[in-house]
Amino acid sequence: MLKEKHNYKGTLICVEGIDGSGKSTQLALLRDWLKSTGQDVIFTEWNSSELISQTTKLAKKKNMLSPRTFSLLHAVDFADRLKQVIDPALKAGFIVLADRYAYTAFARDVARGVDSNWVRKVYDFAIKPDLAIYFDINPKDSMERICANRAPKFYEAGMDLKLSNDPYESYMIFQGRVIKEYQKMVDEFGLVKLDAMDSIHSKQVAIREMLKEVLTAKGVNL
Amino acid sequence: MTAQFKTKHGYEGLLIVIEGTDGSGKSTQLELLKKSIQAQSYGVMVSEWKTSRLIANVIDDAKDRNLLNATTYSLLYAADFADRLENQIIPALKSGFIVLLDRYYYTALARDVVRGQDIEWVKNLYDYAPEPDLVFYLDMPVDVLLKRIIGTTGLDFYESGRDVGFSTDFYKSFEIYQKKCLEQYNNMKSEYHFKSIDGTLPINKIHSIMDEEVQEILSSGVLK
Repeated sequence: MLKEKHNYKGTLICVEGIDGSGKSTQLALLRDWLKSTGQDVIFTEWNSSELISQTTKLAKKKNMLSPRTFSLLHAVDFADRLKQVIDPALKAGFIVLADRYAYTAFARDVARGVDSNWVRKVYDFAIKPDLAIYFDINPKDSMERICANRAPKFYEAGMDLKLSNDPYESYMIFQGRVIKEYQKMVDEFGLVKLDAMDSIHSKQVAIREMLKEVLTAKGVNL
Repeated sequence: MTAQFKTKHGYEGLLIVIEGTDGSGKSTQLELLKKSIQAQSYGVMVSEWKTSRLIANVIDDAKDRNLLNATTYSLLYAADFADRLENQIIPALKSGFIVLLDRYYYTALARDVVRGQDIEWVKNLYDYAPEPDLVFYLDMPVDVLLKRIIGTTGLDFYESGRDVGFSTDFYKSFEIYQKKCLEQYNNMKSEYHFKSIDGTLPINKIHSIMDEEVQEILSSGVLK
């Protein structure tokens, strides 16, 4: 399904990239602007479903998840939001803005050693976004941004993989793997790559331009 | 001396599954089998469907609040299974236990497909699961099942497939749902080499059939 164009009235936009790549900032700017122009916008983010997100967060705190269970719990979260939020909003003609999408699972789970075909099949029910933007950053810049005042968290540093006892070093190795997976997906799924180190303004200009193009093709003028 | 038995999964222990629909007598048989194996000084571990510490409560709670759609239903059970498999079942098999399972992923295949999921999609969710050494399937006609369940636990919303919308009448819905599950189990019998046992036989008779199969494997000396 991630390869087939959808036929919904609405438009699905997602942002991808590792932590600290600036994707949430860009999505927030886009959302505020779209709302100010009177568009019907809905926002949804990774691991936020009522059904499961608390369980996943709790299990992460206790460091008790195997890579496969980790993967399946995030799939539950995604499926719940897809069926309850994204799908109905697209049918009703909304612009749906997703902070992370199935590609996050493909990048992180595969970096954890889960088979890449397996996880792609698990997410077979996902809807192909009209626009998927990937914010490319190197692990070092990402770490400097998110770990300015705190150590990397257990799973975000991939500490479950026992790559290194030092969370900073582990973060560099693990996120390096995640980035490699993202880079593969640029061609595989047609993700649009932006340089995370560009200015906030120039990225926002680029995103709005791409969105306008998508909407124009659907007969919506901003 | 029987020819050397080789486990199908490559671990040291044995993986034995009892499958069947609700009310087919699985738990009773599991308990009996556990006792007879224990009596011979083997290490036995039992694990039941939907009992992971992590996820079982979430499933129950979500069912209570009618929060599940067919996809989240499938994925939650798959997560429960993954958690139990990796934290309990595989470690036990590695250390040479006989693991007795009340239901295995065949249950998910039956229920999820009845809920409209693509069978290949569901198979993929469980494709990493080790192949059991023995799968007993308790075969029960739907009318006997209906009586058993109504006479014991009563009809449950999901076990009656009410979420699928076959019928708003509880009895009718249960009948349709269980029939469809039985069809799925029947389709799996040969593919997964079920040892099908007539579930209407007396409890002791069923037990001795199962025990004989287990003894045959044990007498090959696989766990010595």
